Amino acid sequence: MSTPARKRLMRDFKRLQQDPPAGISGAPQDSNIMLWNAVIFGPDDTSWDGGTFKLTLQFSEDYPNKPPTVRFVSRMFHPNIYADGSICLDILQNQWSPIYDVAAILTSIQDNHGGCSGSDFQVLLRLLNDVDFCWNSLLCDPNPNSPANSEAARMFSENKREYNRRVREIVEQSWTAD
Amino acid sequence: MQRGPTAGSMVSNHSRGEPLSTLAAEYQSGSPILLEKIKVLGDKYAAIRRTRGDGNCFFRSFMFSYLEHILETQDREEVDRIKIKVEECRKTLQSLGYVDFTFEDFFALFLEQLDDVLQGNENSISHEELLNRSRDQSVSDYVVMFFRFVTTGEIRKRSPFFEPFISGLTNTTVEQFCKSSVEPMGEESDHMHITALSDALGVPIRVVYLDRSSCEAGGVSVNHHNFVPAPGNLPSATSVSSESINPFITMLYRPGHYDILYPK
Repeated sequence: MSTPARKRLMRDFKRLQQDPPAGISGAPQDSNIMLWNAVIFGPDDTSWDGGTFKLTLQFSEDYPNKPPTVRFVSRMFHPNIYADGSICLDILQNQWSPIYDVAAILTSIQDNHGGCSGSDFQVLLRLLNDVDFCWNSLLCDPNPNSPANSEAARMFSENKREYNRRVREIVEQSWTAD
Repeated sequence: MQRGPTAGSMVSNHSRGEPLSTLAAEYQSGSPILLEKIKVLGDKYAAIRRTRGDGNCFFRSFMFSYLEHILETQDREEVDRIKIKVEECRKTLQSLGYVDFTFEDFFALFLEQLDDVLQGNENSISHEELLNRSRDQSVSDYVVMFFRFVTTGEIRKRSPFFEPFISGLTNTTVEQFCKSSVEPMGEESDHMHITALSDALGVPIRVVYLDRSSCEAGGVSVNHHNFVPAPGNLPSATSVSSESINPFITMLYRPGHYDILYPK
């Protein structure tokens, strides 16, 4: 059965195969184009370096008018990621637009003057990298005092060393988790 | 702001809108200025068609009004004209770096509606079917999104023109504004959206303002503003002088919401 959502997801997949952004990979499950697995690699030169983090993207027939539900399967420790792996990120909530495809969800195109052709950065990678960015994009929860993971948020601002240690633990867990 | 139409309907279901008296009824125990203004409106306008107050009301009103106009006039010259503008919008998005497959379905669906309101084709539709489609989420939302793509393309393309308005209103960059206030569904439209859509497609739009403002002297009057695209972009049927221009799309603006107005 081919619906508009499924047809669109096939094109998303084609683009992701032909022009894969650095640091991420993703593909639909064999029997179900509506459910994707993705992996993002922790950015170099950050405490996430070396980690491989698994996610799932669940699409509905309303895609691309509605965003997929994106969730980390790997255990995470981050102010903007809930205990169940769901992510607090504006483009996955109230700032969603059909201009984002799967590659763009995992890789957003940074705007600069003259359009979208500027340098790429990975939204989710950057989420790991730069918590300030997350605060700025945190339209779903504009109050920095009630983040998705309050322990991680508090540690991030009060005890960066301990925060980084916890992140390294998560990175090491990502090697052994199946 | 959620206002007006019955829950569930995107465009109200009357064949030629509802009489303006239904509008007056809403304010019966309310502001005398508004009631006075609605009376003045009644000199020129016969009916109102309500659209769902879901933040897409401007685009949805535009969609219905424009397609209804084509259905009623069968103005093939206008259809040919707007198709050229649509192709220009496509090129604009491409040149701005948008990926084709993220917007092509939305373009295709709008072009299909344009062809279908022209009679004499296999797929020609009636006024009733136009109403049905405007109320069908899978068609209606796609066409709304098409207009959002057109609007964002125009604003970004003419970023130096729009920048002062945007920074004055929202204190953000043009790109941020488009990302947060134009491209997502459900984000309300302001005069920037209207200007950009009107310019990009070359379709004049009249907006009639129904608010509590009043001038002391000389009794109550109702303000309107014509959004008139640059000459050369205009439909062939409209006269070129912007003073005397008579847009075939008229919307009633009440703070936070747009509906369609029908002239007498």
